[in-house]
Amino acid sequence: MRTYGADSDQSDRASVEVGIAEYAVTDDGEELSTFGLGSCVAVVLYDDDAGVAGLAHVMLPTAGGSDGESPGKFADTAVAAMVREMEERGADADDMEAKLAGGSEMFEFTGIAQGVGQRNVEAAREALQAKGIPIEAEDVGGEHGRSVRLNGEIGAVELKTADNEREEL
Amino acid sequence: MKIDVNTLGTFHEMAKEGAGAAASRLSMMTDVDAHVDVTKVNFMSESDIHAEFQDGSHYGVKVKLAGAPGGQSIVVFDAGSANQIVETLVPDSDDDDGFSEMDKSAITELGHILNNGFIDGWADVLETAIDISTPEFVRGESAEAVLGDLDDALEGAELALMFQSHIHATGEEIAFSHYLLPDYDAMGEALAAVTDRPVPAGFDYEKLTGFDRMVDRGAEEVANSVTQMTGFETGVEIRRINFVPVESIPRDISQQRQVGVAFTYDGLPSGYLLFLFDEGSAREIVDALLPSSPEDELGAMGESAIKELGNIMASGFLDGWANVLDTAIDMSTPSYIRDMGSALVDPIAIEIAQDQEYAFVFDTLIQARDREFDCVIMAIPEEGDLERALDALDTDDIGKEPETPSFPIDEA
Repeated sequence: MRTYGADSDQSDRASVEVGIAEYAVTDDGEELSTFGLGSCVAVVLYDDDAGVAGLAHVMLPTAGGSDGESPGKFADTAVAAMVREMEERGADADDMEAKLAGGSEMFEFTGIAQGVGQRNVEAAREALQAKGIPIEAEDVGGEHGRSVRLNGEIGAVELKTADNEREEL
Repeated sequence: MKIDVNTLGTFHEMAKEGAGAAASRLSMMTDVDAHVDVTKVNFMSESDIHAEFQDGSHYGVKVKLAGAPGGQSIVVFDAGSANQIVETLVPDSDDDDGFSEMDKSAITELGHILNNGFIDGWADVLETAIDISTPEFVRGESAEAVLGDLDDALEGAELALMFQSHIHATGEEIAFSHYLLPDYDAMGEALAAVTDRPVPAGFDYEKLTGFDRMVDRGAEEVANSVTQMTGFETGVEIRRINFVPVESIPRDISQQRQVGVAFTYDGLPSGYLLFLFDEGSAREIVDALLPSSPEDELGAMGESAIKELGNIMASGFLDGWANVLDTAIDMSTPSYIRDMGSALVDPIAIEIAQDQEYAFVFDTLIQARDREFDCVIMAIPEEGDLERALDALDTDDIGKEPETPSFPIDEA
């Protein structure tokens, strides 16, 4: 069962919305999307040879002693879970490439989630490095929100900001 | 019944398991994917429950539960979904008033299957069998007509504990809401058994009345502050307390660009407070507060005006809380932010998520009666502080009117 947000995309193209602290994997070219990343980070994985893609919307750097009920919530467990599930669908970690987006510092002065965006990005990088997965592109940090659409068929990633500016990552 | 955050975590697990099981049943019956849109453990006042049933006719199927969690489980369809179900399950039905006995039994059958889905999910979490009555079909245009006497649900408290789920079938116009109004004693016993704690810790359920007073006073203070600052005739449209996993806090927030003013506060309780305005409402504020408003963007002056209003609203809101809880709460300076709504909220969810899995979200909507102006207020106290504040609360004083609150209107 996947949980869909109120604004889930109802366009003709099969699109799966990945909620905060969730991840999704596709091997049939579905579009995976996630919206409103602030200090959260989107981790995109793609294996071109196998045609398998994954997208996680992580909230925190590492699970620590957590019981593993929400692997998509943490950068380290999300990468591990996505790689495992993608490999179950025929992908190979050695053939995967990654893209990262998000990890902003949204609030000044208040101390709300200060430095967490940066720590999320670093934890994602470390988890990817541990699996030997290169980061092909990233758009991280800054002080603005981002939304991400991953074309599961070709691995292309489109970023969107609140100003509706779109760019290919 | 004593409750604490762990108990409520089990409530949420029940609600989620039940909703998942019911959505699977709906998928099987309609042969399309069904999705859980929302699962919430809410604490609702009588007027909030009435507001849920304002919108036309509703068709419900309810069962009474013997043993834990007790009370009643009700599946509710709106008129559109009820018609669609009838068309799907009874294609030959052509009764003139649109609703025959056969239609009624089709709805009852589906409603019963869905109720059973929820109940199987709860039984898994509570590790017990749950006996149920035969299903009763209800139809009406008010909360009482569908749910029955609300005094029973409230059991003398000001807030009813309610599990709420909204589920829809993809591509079909079939959606339903579900409500569980549990029996507090039966629920308390079942939770004690499943959590292996013979005497649950936490605070008495009755103290949640303190929540209601907090929300009520806080929201009223904010509405008054906005009216005094801007001249808008504002009122409190929605005030509710959700108990949710922290990661679901940003999910209800719009993706559209919003203007937010955020604060931290420190005391009993400590936590986070966020005021969110859509772009149109932010523009209304700037037009009302500045002698001549900037032409396109809100500008530095506009930002400063919105921050100032945020400041006044926050101090009114927290004064309201401090009065009810009889504590002192200090607040930070405002932080202004303009970006996609959920990106504004995610840092607050992240901050909370570092220490707790679930959170109480005090969710309030203030609207102007004379123009397009909405303000969403999210206040999220830290759980330990909130428990301590409620525990210290003298239940005898909860119902009393607080002393005249003070907020720094003079600074406006």
